[in-house]
Amino acid sequence: MGEPTEITDVDVSKGLVGAKRIAIIFFVVLATMVAWRVYQQVFAWEKGLDSFEAEFDVYWMNLLYTQWILEFTAAAVVWGYLIKTRDKDVFNITPQEELQRHFTLIAWLFAYVWIVYWAASFFAEQDASWHQVTVRDTDFTPSHIVLFYGVMPCYILAGVGSFLYARTRLPQFAKRLSIPFVIAVLGPFMILPNVGLNEWGHTFWFMEELFAAPIHWGFVVLGWTALALGGLFLQIIPRMVQLTQLEEELTEDMND
Amino acid sequence: MGVVRSAITTAEQQHRVYKAFDWIVIPIVVLVIIGAFHIHFMLTAGDWDFWIDWKDRRWWVTITPITLIFFPAALHYLFWQHFRLPFGATLCCAGLLAGEWVSRVVNFVGWAYYPLNMVVPAEIIPMALVLDSVLLISRSFLVTGVIGSMIWGLIFYPANWAIIAPYHVPVEYNGNMMSIADLMGYSYVRTGTPEYIRIIEEGTLRTFGESVVPVSAFFAGFISVFAYFIWVGIGKALAKTIWVKKL
Repeated sequence: MGEPTEITDVDVSKGLVGAKRIAIIFFVVLATMVAWRVYQQVFAWEKGLDSFEAEFDVYWMNLLYTQWILEFTAAAVVWGYLIKTRDKDVFNITPQEELQRHFTLIAWLFAYVWIVYWAASFFAEQDASWHQVTVRDTDFTPSHIVLFYGVMPCYILAGVGSFLYARTRLPQFAKRLSIPFVIAVLGPFMILPNVGLNEWGHTFWFMEELFAAPIHWGFVVLGWTALALGGLFLQIIPRMVQLTQLEEELTEDMND
Repeated sequence: MGVVRSAITTAEQQHRVYKAFDWIVIPIVVLVIIGAFHIHFMLTAGDWDFWIDWKDRRWWVTITPITLIFFPAALHYLFWQHFRLPFGATLCCAGLLAGEWVSRVVNFVGWAYYPLNMVVPAEIIPMALVLDSVLLISRSFLVTGVIGSMIWGLIFYPANWAIIAPYHVPVEYNGNMMSIADLMGYSYVRTGTPEYIRIIEEGTLRTFGESVVPVSAFFAGFISVFAYFIWVGIGKALAKTIWVKKL
């Protein structure tokens, strides 16, 4: 503690992205999403049309409760682990270590946006299609259970995880808060609580299913906040340039 | 913390780090744009985009270009101002189309069983190419906002004409004249979209027949000009690199 670690001669530039790590994230998320989608294909039409039937409880409400338990457990474990294993000597890490941790942060961000795609694009628009084949008799439809209470909590898990990782592992983020990072994580996080407004509106006024109805615009405004990832990268990039500067001016052809 | 020490020593290592960063940041940018832009667009103009019988001369032509320019303008600021990359609008629109097509094919067709030609999304790439090109040539947000956004609105309907024209052929159905698009909406039942919430042109006593599309497109272009500047500003606000000690 306190002693700056010696710079070693290890070449850190190889394998920074961690192709294996990225591939694992990619395929785990993909497999999870496909599993949800297949489950819907199999059981939505058969067991998901009438929420007052006993089989709806078995196939859909039980899925909902299972998801809730798994999500709360996963959030407690992942976030708790990140905080528990925080680097208590974070201001004394080597430049090599800091560079590698930046790429780990970027892997977290990749997991975050890869799930955001499934939530905000795939399953969100899927909900529009289900609204057109049923007149819903519950707030917990087969598409809502997966979208609001399955996929959205997943990206919140990854988003907050990325924030905690940076806060506990990277000197730049440990000593102060990045406002664009807060916005890019907290805004999409708030899409889930905004379901409160949405269902309240749908429950007390029959809004038909106009998808562009004003009751949905809360989601839109919160979706805009994902653009703040641009600001975050504008904070990350100068630091990485500092970490990769060379003693003397060298130029190399980067066009390959 | 004083002077930052470098993590590398050779130009080759530097090159490798930069390439690694490029290759991971590109998918991140693409994915977040698809997600965020899609949820914005589907909840502001989605109904017109979902259904062939909502693609009318007045509302679709007006609303789509206006709400569609939000993210392209924001990304114009981020990409052009900071990286001199001239493809913000095209990346947005191509990403949106990718997200829409996956969802239409897998969900609207594959789950809800609507025919694909009923739920085909609007064509938006030509507008994006023009907007980006004007920025690239003029190198000015002002010129892009005024001229590019106006063209953006004006060419939306022509860009889609070739796709939707076959659905505007008239048919006589049970004694009534319907377009093919109307007939598709009538045939493939949508529980959430009764006819009376379909927001399309119904005619007014102040409308002069043939001018509906040109007037709507021109109006859409005009509003897009303002929307462009507002969203360049929002793009700027969200690209600010602010640090604080505590919240």
